[in-house]
Amino acid sequence: MASSRRPDGPSLVAGVSIALVGVVLLLDHTGVLDLRFAALGPIVCAVVGAILLAGGLAKRD
Amino acid sequence: MESHDQDPTTESPAAGSEDPTTSHAAGGHGPVPSGGDSTGDAAAAAPRRLYKSRDERMIAGVCGRIAEYFGIDPVIVRVIAVARVFAGGAGLLAYVAAWLLVPEEGALASERPGRTATIAGAIALVLAVGALTPLWSGPFGGHWSGPFVAIVFVGLAGLGVWYLASGEQPAAGGVRDILRRAGFGLALLAVCAVLAVSGAWATAAGGGTVVAVVIVVLGVWLVAGAFIGGARWLILPALALALPAGVVSAADLDVRGGVGERQYHPLAADQVRDSYRLGVGQLIVDLRDARLPAGDRRLHIDLGVGQAVLVVPRDVCVATSAKLGAGQVSVFDRDSGGVDVDWQDVRTAPPGRTRIVVDGDVGVGQLAVTYQDADAIRHGGFHDDTQPGNRTCIGGARG
Repeated sequence: MASSRRPDGPSLVAGVSIALVGVVLLLDHTGVLDLRFAALGPIVCAVVGAILLAGGLAKRD
Repeated sequence: MESHDQDPTTESPAAGSEDPTTSHAAGGHGPVPSGGDSTGDAAAAAPRRLYKSRDERMIAGVCGRIAEYFGIDPVIVRVIAVARVFAGGAGLLAYVAAWLLVPEEGALASERPGRTATIAGAIALVLAVGALTPLWSGPFGGHWSGPFVAIVFVGLAGLGVWYLASGEQPAAGGVRDILRRAGFGLALLAVCAVLAVSGAWATAAGGGTVVAVVIVVLGVWLVAGAFIGGARWLILPALALALPAGVVSAADLDVRGGVGERQYHPLAADQVRDSYRLGVGQLIVDLRDARLPAGDRRLHIDLGVGQAVLVVPRDVCVATSAKLGAGQVSVFDRDSGGVDVDWQDVRTAPPGRTRIVVDGDVGVGQLAVTYQDADAIRHGGFHDDTQPGNRTCIGGARG
């Protein structure tokens, strides 16, 4: 029987964001890219902002 | 199951059965005239209550409601609150406490904090203000304030973390529930702190690839948990691991060179190494007595966190390139600082002269090239040069 349960938005957004951060760190440590603070700052803001936004929208549902 | 310590007055027929918005007008949220209350003695006897305003709000409605409570302009309360924030942070602490402990205007009686919670909130506020006031020479000055500051800050932080992590509404339950949540929040904070330090240290110690893989796995776990359920608690620990590891990676911080103070003083050219490395601490390389021959001598300095000082003789030309995650490069009287610092000081030595070509890599800290005495630096610290250097160079460009 197919489940109609909706995925948990904050967990989904946080999971994708954190996995992307992990990929960026992996690329940095393997020398594919050079991570600097100028890039890390916006990345952190985007991740935290996306998680908070997803949490806020989930509460409104 | 949640337990609620109810305020008896909210259960009374006069106040507890009213529509909350009606209660707002009759129950005396705002200034109540001393006599002639048309709602009767019971309502008149009900205490005025503090709620977070739904209409007059900028952030959480705390200032707006306090203003209504005292019958003054909300702007005045906001100005005072902002001033208190910049006066050391007590305003912020009090605001957070009020946000967590004061109920929403119009909330059902069962959603309001009970008397115990209100008393706990009031005690927390008094402790917060009383403990923090001495920090800026207030009337409660004394050495006892330190532990109170820590307790209040840590307790509120734990409570806040619990509400954020659990998604529960603040201000529900009695003091026991609040303490339980604060305890869980603190435990979560402690786990996050351990993860943050461990992740950062592992990354700085050369395990960055493993940490990155773990972060990817946690992200995938969270995505799976979004469909299966019960993984939201993992968000905070995953962030606690990922963000410090990101900072360490961005700073290119490497602590594998060891910890402590290192001073190198080669007395001959062949004793000069190609590379000097330190993980955390102070690294001093004194080349004044190395008697370097004419021509280029390349030198790599690798420092994780701390200070690296290269002391050179006055008759050599020094070309410097350096990369810092965060900190300062100081080459004689010239310097540059901040985050993501890329320093290029290309210099050319005249024929028959020595040129030291320095390649610096610093995670967080300072890289300095100077004529100052190495022993004086070691015992008295490095002071910024005011005299220009590199007088023996015949040309140069800094980029």
